[in-house]
Amino acid sequence: MVAIIHKRSWRDFDWVLALMAIGIVGFGTVQIHYAQPTQSYWIKQLIGLSIGLVAMLAIAFTDYRRLLNLAPFFYVFGLVLLVVVLVPGVGTRVNGQQAWIKVPGIGQFQPSEFVKVTTAMLLARYFGKNRAQALTVKEMIVGGLILACPIALILLEPDVGSVLTYMPILAVVLFLSAIRIRLVVATALLAVIMIPLTYWVGVKTNLVKRYQQERINVIYDPENADRKGIGYHTWQSILTVGEGGLFGSRSSAEHSQSSLKFLPEPHTDFIYAVTAETTGFVGCVMVLLAYIVLLSRLITGARRSSDRMGMLVIMAVVGGLTFQIFINIGMALGISPVIGVPLPLMSAGLASLIATFIAIGFAISVQLRRFVN
Amino acid sequence: MKFEDTSQNLRARLRFIQVLVVLMLALLGVRLYVLQVVRGERYAEIAENQRRRRLPIAAPRGVIFDREGRPIVDSRPIYNVIMSREDVKDLHSLIDPLAEGLQIDKEILRERFDLVSSMPAFESIQVKQDATQDDIAWVEAHTLEFPELRVEQQPQRRYPADGMLAHVLGYVGEISPEQLKQPALREKGLKPGDIIGQSGIEQIYDDYLRGRDGYREVVVDSRGRIQDEIETVAPIPGRDLVTTIDLDLQTAAEEQLRTSVTQRGVIIAMNPNNGEVLALASFPNFDPNLFSQRITTKEGKAEYVALLNDPETPLLNRAVQSRYPPGSTWKIPMSVAGLEQGAITIDHSNLVCGGGITIGNKFTRCMGNHGSPDIKTAITRSCDGYYYRLGLKMGISGIMKMVDEFDLNKRTGIDLPNEVISWTPSPDFKRRMQPRDPEWRDIDTVYSSFGQVYDVVTPISLLRTINAVATGGHLYIPHLLKEVRPIGTPGTADFKPMVGFQPLDPAKPNPKEIGIPEDIHHTVVEGMWGVVNNGGTGASIRMAGFDIAGKTGTAQVVGLGKDTGKNKDHSWFVTYAPAYQPEISMVALIENSGFGSLHAAPAIRRIYDVYYRKTRHTEPPGAVQIAQK
Repeated sequence: MVAIIHKRSWRDFDWVLALMAIGIVGFGTVQIHYAQPTQSYWIKQLIGLSIGLVAMLAIAFTDYRRLLNLAPFFYVFGLVLLVVVLVPGVGTRVNGQQAWIKVPGIGQFQPSEFVKVTTAMLLARYFGKNRAQALTVKEMIVGGLILACPIALILLEPDVGSVLTYMPILAVVLFLSAIRIRLVVATALLAVIMIPLTYWVGVKTNLVKRYQQERINVIYDPENADRKGIGYHTWQSILTVGEGGLFGSRSSAEHSQSSLKFLPEPHTDFIYAVTAETTGFVGCVMVLLAYIVLLSRLITGARRSSDRMGMLVIMAVVGGLTFQIFINIGMALGISPVIGVPLPLMSAGLASLIATFIAIGFAISVQLRRFVN
Repeated sequence: MKFEDTSQNLRARLRFIQVLVVLMLALLGVRLYVLQVVRGERYAEIAENQRRRRLPIAAPRGVIFDREGRPIVDSRPIYNVIMSREDVKDLHSLIDPLAEGLQIDKEILRERFDLVSSMPAFESIQVKQDATQDDIAWVEAHTLEFPELRVEQQPQRRYPADGMLAHVLGYVGEISPEQLKQPALREKGLKPGDIIGQSGIEQIYDDYLRGRDGYREVVVDSRGRIQDEIETVAPIPGRDLVTTIDLDLQTAAEEQLRTSVTQRGVIIAMNPNNGEVLALASFPNFDPNLFSQRITTKEGKAEYVALLNDPETPLLNRAVQSRYPPGSTWKIPMSVAGLEQGAITIDHSNLVCGGGITIGNKFTRCMGNHGSPDIKTAITRSCDGYYYRLGLKMGISGIMKMVDEFDLNKRTGIDLPNEVISWTPSPDFKRRMQPRDPEWRDIDTVYSSFGQVYDVVTPISLLRTINAVATGGHLYIPHLLKEVRPIGTPGTADFKPMVGFQPLDPAKPNPKEIGIPEDIHHTVVEGMWGVVNNGGTGASIRMAGFDIAGKTGTAQVVGLGKDTGKNKDHSWFVTYAPAYQPEISMVALIENSGFGSLHAAPAIRRIYDVYYRKTRHTEPPGAVQIAQK
């Protein structure tokens, strides 16, 4: 019996999804090596890949419903990690953010990346019951609270970038949990009106500080913004991307934007700019296509899910990933502000990598069990 | 989806998300296309430029030699602290740490940064000149904090001590913002921070002396640290310059001025046969090293301000930039012109002295009573009364003709900057000078004929006149350039041959020939010879066997009776020797020292001694006696 299940498991296993993810990581590792040839980030990335694969397989072959039943436990465990990171001496401070826990042998890892998964799990579990009617106000409040706890803790680090990536998880879950369409439209309209209006009022009342305005201006007009100050990252990233041209930069590796340190954080936040410099427009579009295939496979998996919970957990992952990809690449291309959001599967960083594979593991697990029952 | 119910439109909502995902990533693709394909070329160029940097390598400036090949000015290598402006976000935030670390005055640094901020092309800023070992160590110890700083070896101009030849050599200095706006200088490819000749022959012959800077093209990282070198273009050194100056004569001339009563004046020595200036001294002088070495320090600035405000105007080159009434030295060209124009003849040249002359109700006196002298005696004894009458005979038109003949109303064309034109008598000049009494009268002609009031000349133009008399009519352009030495290997493309002196104004004839008739020339020379050798006003400097011709002069500073102390008359002596085969001519002016025979003439005699020893290789006759006086 076990053997039969296994045979079927291997047949239904989403090979395209897994291989696509591994392929992106492999490609990303090459870029990391290019960005920091003298550092060991690329080796760590490969270690992260191995751990991630093990985690993915372990979760894929476990019944996701059993895991989701334990979601509150995982969720609380995640919150504990977020508290631990704030304890002086345990958490490590980098660039003014206390967001990392030092793990002997591996290095640092960022709990907020994992908590994204545990939060998505709890949301999926809570909203995963079969429903006949539209979302109630009470449900929305509970959903908001589930999100609010980790966000509050992360804001204490403070890591605004991470917090932003939590938002789409709840948004997607609510959207797919029969929230009334008119509410969605109203929210969208309100956002379209309120965001520029609030910004305008903020500027007029000086509540939005000069340097914060500058960050927005950089996006509109990077060439004339403060290229040496607040606009430095964006401007250098744009130059790096532009230099890549159609097929990649012609200048030597020693004279690249990253090795001369014009491009900051080339192996993490700006890994996509490095990719743009080395592989040009062609390489960049391939990466975008790879992400589209990956996300489409996930959505397909969600659609085939045998229950609401499975669908929600996959779609929460899709929401989180899409948002991160968009913000990170947008940052490299100078159309979104510079906030430290890693590019899933490509940026150097153990936590982000492993968390993404865990999320993919869930998706595969859901798919493997679509005919059970 | 077994759990789906129609009311939720779940399928539609999922599709909506899928479409949204694709749209978002497609948007990124469009942006990529704009950045990489549409604007790629431009960004690549900007990126390339920001990592490439040209570091200039200063060309060593040419050495300046005297006529015998003795070096006068050269350059020595010093260390300068240079800052790459490109890497600096806020210049002014660096003032405090740099001022403290490198011992620079804050105000100086602020001024410099202000200046630099207004000029975008200022890539490399010199922060400190002539850095000490401590400064270099400080820069090296702070490469992390101030990676934009570097220490470079650059040549620094070194001038002789005591301000020797200061007015001739001039000095070098950083090109100023005003100069950068001049099209002539811009066309030469000069850029901010370049060192150029700012005065003297350093300025006139800057193009030869300067050479062309080379550069190192390097790759720098984001903090400006050099990572790689792409190419090096060696500088082309400036060309060496041989002047006509004889350091022995120059030293003697300066010594005479330095030890003179007022320590103010001019001495010029020339070769009348070709216009070469052998010595040119103007006192008080200054130290040109101030401009090449100390001007960027607080003390140097104060020193400069003091020079500018000094009532004795040490920066002024009195030989070419000051005008003085020539006094009786004016009688030399007057004599030549009077004979040439036929106002008098050699055979009938006697005119009454009369102890002076009365024009209308105004009596102008002569210093003595000389009876009715001939022209030779009038020169030898410097009889004013004679020249009052000669002037009236020539008339103002005759005097103006003389002025024109000897080029006294023009620049001599000497290869020094900012030469001024002498003032010479003419009704026009009077109209401008005295608008209340604009009419030209006989008394004005009298004044014009003995070197006062309307005659105000530069020492160099007066000496040129004397040269013409000495040589029988050759008016050479005075010049300081003997030759620009050749550079490079003959036969190759970068070979540049020797260059001799060329008039700065190519239209100016060199020499201008005025052809003084032989008998007239002879007569005037005899009078000048008599000044020294026949009991004339310069008799005290006679050298037996060396025929000095000369003429004393006293330039009135104020009216008679008030000529004491600071307002004493200027003392002149113009001369050449030997009288009938001229080798050297000289002019000396000692300001406010009184009679020409008392001060200027003895000073000239000391220089003749030096010249005599040099050319005759024996002690000059009577040298000891003079020295003991």
